[in-house]
Amino acid sequence: MASNYCRFFIAIFIITISVGCNKDEVTNASQDSSLSAAYFSGGNTTIFNNGSTAYEQPSANLNPQEFLLHTEGDAAFEATFVTAPATNNSGLGPLFNQNACVSCHPRNGRSAAPSNSDLKGFLLRLSNGAVAAHGAPAPVAGFGGQLQTKAIFGLQPEGQVSIQYTYQVNNFLDGTNYELQIPSYQITQTYTQLPPGTHISPRVGPAIFGLGLLEAVSESEILAAADPNDANGDGISGKPNYVWNYIAQQMQIGRFGWKATEPTLYQQTAEAYLGDMGITSPNFTTENSTGQPQIDSLQDDPEITDDIVKAATFYAQSLGVPARRNMNDPLVKQGALLFNAAKCATCHRSQMNTAQLAGVPSVSNQIIYPYTDLLLHDMGPDLADGFAAFSANGSEWRTPPLWGIGLVPVVNGHSYFLHDGRARNLSEAILWHGGEAAASKQFFVNLSATERLAIIRFLESL
Amino acid sequence: MKKVINLLCASSILILVACNKDDAPAPAAAAPNYSDNISNITNNVIIATYADLDAKVSTLVNQLSTLEATPSIANLEASRQAWRDARKPWEQSEGFLFGPVDQQGYDPNMDSWPVNVVDLDAVLNNGNVLTKAYIDALDGTLKGFHTIEYLLWGTDGNKQFNSFTTREFEYLKACAQSLKGVTADLYNAWIPSGGNFSNNLLTAGNGSTLYPSQKSALQEFVNGVITIADEVANGKINDPLSTGDVTLEESRFSANSKADFADNMRSIRNVYIGSLSSLGGKSISSIVSETNASLDAQVKQAIEQSITSIEAIPGTFTTAITANPQAIQAAQTKVRDLQNILQNDLLNFINGL
Repeated sequence: MASNYCRFFIAIFIITISVGCNKDEVTNASQDSSLSAAYFSGGNTTIFNNGSTAYEQPSANLNPQEFLLHTEGDAAFEATFVTAPATNNSGLGPLFNQNACVSCHPRNGRSAAPSNSDLKGFLLRLSNGAVAAHGAPAPVAGFGGQLQTKAIFGLQPEGQVSIQYTYQVNNFLDGTNYELQIPSYQITQTYTQLPPGTHISPRVGPAIFGLGLLEAVSESEILAAADPNDANGDGISGKPNYVWNYIAQQMQIGRFGWKATEPTLYQQTAEAYLGDMGITSPNFTTENSTGQPQIDSLQDDPEITDDIVKAATFYAQSLGVPARRNMNDPLVKQGALLFNAAKCATCHRSQMNTAQLAGVPSVSNQIIYPYTDLLLHDMGPDLADGFAAFSANGSEWRTPPLWGIGLVPVVNGHSYFLHDGRARNLSEAILWHGGEAAASKQFFVNLSATERLAIIRFLESL
Repeated sequence: MKKVINLLCASSILILVACNKDDAPAPAAAAPNYSDNISNITNNVIIATYADLDAKVSTLVNQLSTLEATPSIANLEASRQAWRDARKPWEQSEGFLFGPVDQQGYDPNMDSWPVNVVDLDAVLNNGNVLTKAYIDALDGTLKGFHTIEYLLWGTDGNKQFNSFTTREFEYLKACAQSLKGVTADLYNAWIPSGGNFSNNLLTAGNGSTLYPSQKSALQEFVNGVITIADEVANGKINDPLSTGDVTLEESRFSANSKADFADNMRSIRNVYIGSLSSLGGKSISSIVSETNASLDAQVKQAIEQSITSIEAIPGTFTTAITANPQAIQAAQTKVRDLQNILQNDLLNFINGL
């Protein structure tokens, strides 16, 4: 089918939605034209699915070539790796965290929070606290940059993680109690002694849809909102991370990962294959256990082709973003106003424009509503992991996008948020905010129960 | 895999049509109530299938226990048949791979593919006592349906009774026991006296936090059957067919792939007609037929044709990849036709409710 033909109908479709279909949206549109556009969180990639498959839909505007590559990437993303030598999907480990992409990104969504018996899509990044080339966190002798908690049969995982929670009760201004669970992590059962002073950073696998759009945002668009020295005195900095691009061999703005340490989705993908599954690829041929006694002696690297890495990368680039829901619910509308009044939107920036992303026309030149600025912010001591990475210090985290966040329960069966899943619901996620976001958190604490609910309903509508 | 041929154009046009309907002045009428349809599909298809799965896996445990206690050709054949019988409700559950099966991580512990043969050999050659608890702790690629299948039939599907080791019999028994633990957990996760996931669907539009409307529950059902139609057409059939690589075939060891795929189509039928028998019940079909009998007939015919064409592939799926690829292509076309009807017509119909 001719793509012009398709575009024609897409255009008609969009017009229909805004002028005819959702009559309620029209009411909004007459009051605020940005609101009806905001219905399409991912611009023309936006998909309409509120169920458990909401994060698995291809972008609505893929051309036939993109669609085929997306299908290949889908298979790559689901593939389960096994111990070499094997007929299919060979090369797992020998040390690894999980054996498939979907194990940490179930249904392309957020991993559940870890438990001591099952870490799920959780891992610990490791560093000896020193700075390696280009500002990367220096690895720990004998363990590398990540604790691999699984191993092929007969070998010993690098270690296990023991998680303990303590609980702290505080009050909203109206006197209602709330409780936060405070995690502490201990590395146990190590295969050899863990060097003292090892720094850890806990991470949970995030959702992967919409990432192509974020990759397509221009550096100038990101930098326009940056204010690293808080020149405007609003208490909010916004600092780009500059990280090493191994392919281009240069420093570049980081966008992906909890501290924005990955400059491209290709590098993010290839490093996840390597670090999380022990799968080498043509640009990352050195096993994650190199230099350790448990390295395998197989001459099977690279274990996957570059086409597989590219297909998996493209899969993440070409997933659609779910449309907003319930935008005309009065509580949602109230929540939207409060979200802005609390200055949440200063970092969780509602609108961005994408530029061109080579090879991915579907994400190019879109108006999107990701609710992130892709910048680092100091989130205060309670969330700090003390783990520096490139320009990010131990208190800084990248603003995560909020689009689609309301569908986490139906897709992933839980509502655990933040970098390590410590927040058991959206309210707790807000209440953990500190540092630059302390005033926003206090704004939330001072609200009435109905107003707090309005903010939650707004987040759930994203 | 969840893609749509003509996704772009078709869905845009169809949503457009659906939206336009809303523009017409709506006659004052009570909102339709689909509670019976949702509860029938939930209880009499989904939970009933998981109950059947758990029962058939229980039989598999018994057969493999007998085989371990009294190895014989007859007991081996009975075990292989018990595997096929248990495989059937599993494949018939793949039209609703949402909820606990995915969210609680049960799927990888039942249906991981491929088998980790290197590690399996290592376990078979070590001295550890093979108990259910021991198998439970292993990765999904060392247990579940395909590991049991691999051990029962061998790589080329022609494993002889006299080549089995005692250790393999022990592994098979413990592996079935572990699988039984998972199928029991899965069933319990759905029922009211257990995890009660079914309540999320039964209260759709009436307090459910996951399904804010009855329509959203119906959409979940329809997206579930679309997902498996897509998976069969564009993954399970296409991967070996497009590459000619028989090792990419899902149930190659047991030569059960045709049955697997046909049962996937039956899973679609069961959800659509709201019954595990051909009788039907309050269902999606009964909603569709009220206002669009031709679409109802079209969906049913497409389901039956997909089953017929899969079963019409001569010989085993493995042999047909080289001997009769056109028969496989014909089956793939029918499954794609079904996928398109589900995706473009049925889903749109439900979206327009």
